[in-house]
Amino acid sequence: MKQRVVITGAGVTSALGFSRQELFQALLAGRSAVKLRPDWTEQMQGNPRVVAASVELPEEQIKSIKRHYRRSMGPSSLFAALAARQLIAETGLTQEELSSGRIGCIASSTLGSPTETYAAAMAIVNNSFYDQSACQFFKIVSHSTAFNVANMLGINGVQLSPCSACASSLQSIGLAYEQLLLGRQDLILAGGSDEVAPIVLESFRLLHALGEEPGFAPEEISRPFDAKRCGLVCGEGAALLAVETLEHTIARGAKPLAEIIGYATSCTGAQISQSDSASIVRCMKLALEDAGLAPQEVDYVSAHATSTVAGDREEATAIRELFGDAVPVSSLKGQLGHTLGASGALETAVLLEMFSQGLILPNTNLTAPSEECAGLNLIRKPLERSPNIILKNCIAFGGVNATLIIKKI
Amino acid sequence: MTREILIEHINKVFVDKFELDPAILTPEKRIFEDLELDSLDIVDLVTGLQHTFGIPLRDNKELLQIRTLGDIYNLFEKIVQEHPELEEKLTKEQ
Repeated sequence: MKQRVVITGAGVTSALGFSRQELFQALLAGRSAVKLRPDWTEQMQGNPRVVAASVELPEEQIKSIKRHYRRSMGPSSLFAALAARQLIAETGLTQEELSSGRIGCIASSTLGSPTETYAAAMAIVNNSFYDQSACQFFKIVSHSTAFNVANMLGINGVQLSPCSACASSLQSIGLAYEQLLLGRQDLILAGGSDEVAPIVLESFRLLHALGEEPGFAPEEISRPFDAKRCGLVCGEGAALLAVETLEHTIARGAKPLAEIIGYATSCTGAQISQSDSASIVRCMKLALEDAGLAPQEVDYVSAHATSTVAGDREEATAIRELFGDAVPVSSLKGQLGHTLGASGALETAVLLEMFSQGLILPNTNLTAPSEECAGLNLIRKPLERSPNIILKNCIAFGGVNATLIIKKI
Repeated sequence: MTREILIEHINKVFVDKFELDPAILTPEKRIFEDLELDSLDIVDLVTGLQHTFGIPLRDNKELLQIRTLGDIYNLFEKIVQEHPELEEKLTKEQ
């Protein structure tokens, strides 16, 4: 019989709160994380209207992570470490359990740490490479988030990092689900983190994917599915979920928050800068098949929709093909920005609150859906409905798709 | 230059790099066991001392033999005697 896999906790570091409950309440209240970053103007060719959805960490929160562990963390790993600590407090996992070899850590980000990569590059330019910390490389490597969390908590089971840009953390959750189904581990801390930095913003800008419309206030720029959408707003943060076998959950007397019932990941094999509707449909179908569900059994689709012209169009086309206008659809990125590699896990953490609160959060800044995004049930106000089954998409550079299906318990 | 000034400069490296409380920085403290530094920290310690004293130390064999904070004070007392120009630099930067 197929093992059942559940989620028993979720720690969050976000621009709108330092727990999933705080984040959910901020989103429900309509707060936006998007702000001007004049401090980055100089690094961004004098652009006076740089915006991002940044996490503001108080110094005491940063220092609350012991230096021995913090020394190898860039911002991305630090966000994850704070989220992981929250998760341990919530789940009550003991040191003995964490170091039993039966608990793993699967976490990832887009680039390790763009901030620290830039610092290392500048050290080469300035001929001061050997003045850097011995830990600089540990801040930069692509699996920095995973080993920093595992090392801080003494986790000695599986450690993996499926780094696939904006699908990273959803793939981490999916990979954890698969590891548990295979019986390799009993519980996995799964998720991811990411950070914004001028080099990240400039990379999206180069591709004409960064939202910069001067007619909008900063908090209005990210507008998934809207006719006037003009690109994404980069955000940052982290979320780690306790993904656990139901058997282990029951054995330790823990309470599941949701069940993972389906997962799939795929790629286009044809395009590196975006996915296409056909491959997104295929990915969602594979996840539904894994869950043994028909599309009409899904109560809500949590879209990836980042507010780019092409990305939203392709995802909307795919959702319309599978679900028509029957299922409520929204993206959280209008308020939270696109938290890149963290987005899958961060938004899944919010979905857990939708289950417990009996509320589906709406799209923000959606004044009028664009023609190519029409024909969907794009909600614009919080929906007082307790979803039973949620389908969550993530789509990434490399033409990568990931779909997770979770069920209320 | 007094030994006190030298100690002040060395201790500053430990405080800045490793966030240690200056009050615990006494000569008998063992670098690994008492101050809880490890091999990665030693790389940073050497970098910090290089920066403070303005001399290359990465290949200094004697530095590899240090066990206590007192060993570092003694080693740098010797280094300063061998490089009198350091005395002026450190006194000025105090």
